[in-house]
Amino acid sequence: MNPYTDTTFWQFFNVLFQRLGTLLTGGPIASDELQIAVLSLVAISGALIGPFLILRKMTMLANALSHTILIGIALAFLVSPSDDLYAHLPLFMVAAVLTGLATAFITEFFTSTLRLQADASTGLTFTSLFALGILLVTLLTRNAHIGTEIVMGNVDALQISDMYWAALIAAINIVIILLFFKEYTLTTFDKALAVSLGFSPAFFSYLLMTQVSITVVSGFRAVGVLMVLALLTAPALTARLITHKLKHLILYSILIGIIGAFMGVALSRHILSVQNIALSTAGVTVCVLTFIFILAALIKVGRSKFAR
Amino acid sequence: MQIEWLSFLTDPVLRAPTLGCMLMGLAAGVVGVVIFLRKESLLGESLSHAAFPGAILGAFVGGLLGSDEDLSSLIILAGAAFTAYLSIFFIRWLVTRLRIHSDAALCFTLAATFGIGVTLASHMQFSDPALYRNMLALLYGQAATMTDFHVYLYGALAAVVILLAALFRKEIQITSFDRTYASSLMLPVKIIEAVFFALAVLAVIIGIRSVGVVLMSAMLIAPPAAARQFSNRFTTLLFLSGIFGILSGYLGNILSVTGSQELSLLFPNTRLSLPTGPVIVTISALLCFGALLFAPERGLASRAWRIARFRYKCLRENILKCIWRHTKDYSTTIPLLQEHLNATSLTLLIALHHLKQEGWLEKNGKGSWKLTSDGIVKAAKIVRLHRLWEVYLADYLGIGAERVHRSAEEMEHIITPELEASLTRLLKDPKVDPHKQPIPAADTGKTL
Repeated sequence: MNPYTDTTFWQFFNVLFQRLGTLLTGGPIASDELQIAVLSLVAISGALIGPFLILRKMTMLANALSHTILIGIALAFLVSPSDDLYAHLPLFMVAAVLTGLATAFITEFFTSTLRLQADASTGLTFTSLFALGILLVTLLTRNAHIGTEIVMGNVDALQISDMYWAALIAAINIVIILLFFKEYTLTTFDKALAVSLGFSPAFFSYLLMTQVSITVVSGFRAVGVLMVLALLTAPALTARLITHKLKHLILYSILIGIIGAFMGVALSRHILSVQNIALSTAGVTVCVLTFIFILAALIKVGRSKFAR
Repeated sequence: MQIEWLSFLTDPVLRAPTLGCMLMGLAAGVVGVVIFLRKESLLGESLSHAAFPGAILGAFVGGLLGSDEDLSSLIILAGAAFTAYLSIFFIRWLVTRLRIHSDAALCFTLAATFGIGVTLASHMQFSDPALYRNMLALLYGQAATMTDFHVYLYGALAAVVILLAALFRKEIQITSFDRTYASSLMLPVKIIEAVFFALAVLAVIIGIRSVGVVLMSAMLIAPPAAARQFSNRFTTLLFLSGIFGILSGYLGNILSVTGSQELSLLFPNTRLSLPTGPVIVTISALLCFGALLFAPERGLASRAWRIARFRYKCLRENILKCIWRHTKDYSTTIPLLQEHLNATSLTLLIALHHLKQEGWLEKNGKGSWKLTSDGIVKAAKIVRLHRLWEVYLADYLGIGAERVHRSAEEMEHIITPELEASLTRLLKDPKVDPHKQPIPAADTGKTL
């Protein structure tokens, strides 16, 4: 029995607050709490790498990776077929990292060897690999709806193992960012200085892309491969409206991402209780994050007008 | 299995999807050229995702009005166009007012609009499952559901696209390449850009039913990228790219229908099929890849072939030169050649045979080759070009005698007879090069 059945937006948080004690002592977790946990963890991962992606102008590359990961998923499925597409997250991780790197190499091959302009190379690579991936996954799983699940996500199908995975990936991201914060900052803002000090900007680009790949895998069951991008970009862009200090940027992004996750789940529960409409929780979360961004942007624009 | 190529254009069931996809390819191909030349290939990605919520709103409104199949298709397209166009303003607002880099703005817009679309779609999941299934079909397209009405509709839209592209060809070209110049010509840059965006939106919405919002941007990239390999002229590009688009639509339909038939024979009870949208995109990507590899002028394979042929020609000339310079009796063997030339025995053997065919060499017993009298003149000519160039570099460009050899090694294979004549005149037919080596005479190849 789900304790959140028929709760409104505010009651939701009441119930959550009351249940904190049981949850912290290892009580059984309700599905809404599981959704909040997974979304928050993915949002944390996204918030850690989003600001760097935006500052390095690599977000479209992240978009490309989130598409091509499908090929990795298909290949992982080839290696060990099973009825459940999501049975092999560890295998997916490896496959995703490999396809992520392969995407970068293929794009590079298109630009430098085949002499296609950069934007078209990126676009061509990820769209065609995605199309191929859809065909492969459809044929391999013999499931005609798989393509839809991959881009829509399904929070209701989340299991406790997804939370452990998301937590592991978030932990990996935290460790990498803590370890290499200085190097990332340096290679983002001053490539020449980084090279002269002996840090390879290319290495850190690839490391960042690897982080994107594993983050997308940790999130695609919950929100689908396309909406993961919203968790990567929306909080970071909102934070950029508030601050320009990199450390604050990351902290604010994490905060905004988590707020989005809580509000998204609570709001979709509220709509289900009050209106009896089951909205996609992933979609609602993205809408909430978008709304927060637009609100912050409007306040900022309004203020700058007022200041003049 | 037997594929009836023409039946796809005439069969009452297959005709509408095939023609619809071909029209989509045509429109996307034509508009794609402009997007491609403006280097905004990723704009299509954002626009197509932004069309998703609009299409769903359209389907919803159509459902409320209780309109028939055809009218609701129209409303879906109108809704899709509306939100796609809105997203352009949103992206622009992000870039200009909030100073967000366009890369992040595009990415955020596509993820956010897609999220909104998913939310709207999920609204239907339980209240109207049939409508919900139709909306999910917008993700990857569902060509099979096209009727003759869609063909007329897309035909009209494609005609509008081609008409606009043809009317504003010059203006779009100038504005896309050089905005400042366009403004200086008093062209209404803003209006032209609005026309361009309208074109992009039209191209995207035409593709919603055939390829779907997730993959549509590929159809705006692959055909123009393929066309670009064959031509530099804007009009030719428009034409070729349209052809590639039509071809992708046509072949994609055939492959998807025949492939699905094969699959249903293989797995009779899975209802598995090859989705048309992804197949069309894969085919257009393959066409593009083929063009990038094999296009006559710019293709990778063609470039590699040209380079290899030139290298082979240089090797043959170097063999002749080598025999002329390093042997007394103008005869040689492969091991002797390898002392001076960096090539494998097999390559040398092939080259030697080729030279024999051309009449510069003759067999001289087993494993030995000798210059013919023509060959001696030919080899002397190459040496002459080499040494003439050295004289030119040393005397006219003041380059040290010890540094001219390298450049001459390359130039000896390139200098044309006209260039040789001018050099001879300019240098007053010199007899020795900077290293005091004799220069063979122009016609007989004799040295003093």
